[in-house]
Amino acid sequence: MNEVGLVFTVEFMRKVRSRVFLIATFAGVLSIVALVLIPAFITHAAKSSSDTIVLAGPEPLRARAASLLQKHHDFRVVYQAERLPQPMTVGFLDDHEKAAAAVVVSEHAKRLHLDVYPRDAAVFDEVQFRSLVPLNVELATGASAAETENVAKIERSLHPLEKRFADAKSATFARGIAFGLVFVLYFAIIIASQSVMSAVAEEKTSRIAEILVATISPVNLLTGKTLAAAALAILQIAIWVAGAVLVLPHSQLTTSATDPSGIVAAGAGDSLTNGAMASGPNLIEPGVLIAFALFFIFGYLQYATLYAAAASLISRTEDLGMVTTPVILPVVGAFFVAQYALIEPEAPFAIVASFVPFISPFVMFTRIAISAVPVWQIVLAIVENGLLVALCFIVAGKVYRIGMLLYGKLPTPKQVWNALRA
Amino acid sequence: MLVVDRVQRSFGPVAAVRNVSFQCERGGVVGLLGPNGAGKTTTMRMILGIYPPDSGSVTWNGKPIDRIVRKRFGYLPEERGLYAKMKVREQIAYFGRLHGMQEFDALKRADVWLARLDIEQYAKRPSGELSKGNQQKVQLACAVLHEPELLVLDEPFSGLDPVNAQIMLDCITLLRDEGTTFVLSSHQMWQIEYACNSFCIIGAGEVRASGTLAELRRTFPTRTVRVLPDLPEIRAVFTERGFGEPHYDADGTLRYELAASTDFGGLLRAAVAAGPLESFDREEPSLNQIYVRALDAAPSDGRAA
Repeated sequence: MNEVGLVFTVEFMRKVRSRVFLIATFAGVLSIVALVLIPAFITHAAKSSSDTIVLAGPEPLRARAASLLQKHHDFRVVYQAERLPQPMTVGFLDDHEKAAAAVVVSEHAKRLHLDVYPRDAAVFDEVQFRSLVPLNVELATGASAAETENVAKIERSLHPLEKRFADAKSATFARGIAFGLVFVLYFAIIIASQSVMSAVAEEKTSRIAEILVATISPVNLLTGKTLAAAALAILQIAIWVAGAVLVLPHSQLTTSATDPSGIVAAGAGDSLTNGAMASGPNLIEPGVLIAFALFFIFGYLQYATLYAAAASLISRTEDLGMVTTPVILPVVGAFFVAQYALIEPEAPFAIVASFVPFISPFVMFTRIAISAVPVWQIVLAIVENGLLVALCFIVAGKVYRIGMLLYGKLPTPKQVWNALRA
Repeated sequence: MLVVDRVQRSFGPVAAVRNVSFQCERGGVVGLLGPNGAGKTTTMRMILGIYPPDSGSVTWNGKPIDRIVRKRFGYLPEERGLYAKMKVREQIAYFGRLHGMQEFDALKRADVWLARLDIEQYAKRPSGELSKGNQQKVQLACAVLHEPELLVLDEPFSGLDPVNAQIMLDCITLLRDEGTTFVLSSHQMWQIEYACNSFCIIGAGEVRASGTLAELRRTFPTRTVRVLPDLPEIRAVFTERGFGEPHYDADGTLRYELAASTDFGGLLRAAVAAGPLESFDREEPSLNQIYVRALDAAPSDGRAA
């Protein structure tokens, strides 16, 4: 076995059997199960109040719709009007028996169109709108064959926020998933990088480092350690995802089999016509998962190598905080910029930030998860991050080689600079 | 054969090692002596390739020391460390594997060394739970498991109680007899005098003296002569030859520091003739005396005559 392989294997086995890893993995699974199941319970609990709506629209369409909706045992129209005040507010719904939604019915090209203002897109059960299908059929009578082909499909406008998603609900779910993944990305990178850092600090402070660098190449040592921590992080995430997949069939976050967005489809347009919610846990599209894996690896390798280099400079664990603070700041900054990108994925700042070194993995992934990022931008970010990883290994390797044998006072920035130039 | 040839190494403006040269035959044990900060550890690190020399060279069997050669070396640094949570046997085997051993062989050899060092009962315990002395035994096992051709031991006896120091000394002797070459440093003079067959005394980064003990003694300029009883006639023998007044040991023994070139045979005969001589003892300089004097002396080419 070569040096990298040996260090990788021993480090991996050492950590995977450690109590910290086992506890963190188990706690992670529990947290994910809780995160997935709690919204389902809340949704379930909220359903009892989702049977009231405010209805608006021109007569006789509105009366016909009200009749159909009220006929349906799940819905009760608590207020009717020609039109609704704009902008539509939660307060308006509260004033009308805390209605679950306001719905404006209208006719467009012999098809029923709904403008829906749901109180909570995540809990609003749109399947109930199936009761309006007969009205749609009535309107479509006399239309061409092509127009009647999808007569069972009711057109709706839920104020789409992003061009990638069919409606606001899809976008909201995608945001939720993106937020969750960015959070996982952030913590996975932090935890895995700190795992490398603590391993290096352990070797440095316990003075094993000198024996190691006398025996094997410092760069091989660093590489083996870094890859072992990456493998551990991937294993941990895989266990967490497996835990999530196991509990998803029991949650509301399941998808329609024909959902065109493929991201999150509970409540997307087609579900109205499909009727039932599929039970398959196709929550996140493969492209997003690939992006997650790719940008996790980029981010992790960039931060882990720098953390390792920083840890190699200390002689005592007490000094760890001092040298790692400059490395932690960009991660925290990146997380906040990613939060901004979650709201404004196409804003110039978010676009620029998705190419800024060390911030890019977080921001670009966020944008990919919730918007349609041009392919050239994704390719550019991948190339840039790949080059940055190579640069980090070169820089960290140089600092690590020198740092592992430095004891006593922390080296000055000038000494570190000299090491980099050597 | 290890040849260290005029190696130099500086750290910024500080010249840690300057023109240090010595060599050691296969199976030889060379002791590096010197005060703290003299450059011993830096020299050892250059031998191991941890630091490349700024100038000069280190060769093993006539070839420069590269990563392949280095795998056949063993190292016990002054500041020792172990993975505290890794089990003892596993840890020893890991270091063996880092030196190129197969896992099965490494574990088998680990068992041999655990028994040899009398720590086999700790094989499955995390290293951090062992006493300091036992941890040092584990570290020695880590350094020797792969049967190194050259073993570099930096202060191997420091911090050891007499029993463990003796175990360490026995191991060095055993390995030396099996043909292992050693470079070791220590401040424990009797142990290093016992273990080594050549010495290199380093002060302020330079070699102050080197060679076998016999060679070092030959260069030592004085000899100590102790004489009993303290009689005027006997003292007169020394005074007449211009050796001045004697020093006295605590028990009243006369002590003279005389030039190494003194005719000790003639002196003894004169002392016998002068009175009832009970004791006339010429002492060779100890390693400690040579060490102290070498460090006091001005830097020279360092080679013993």
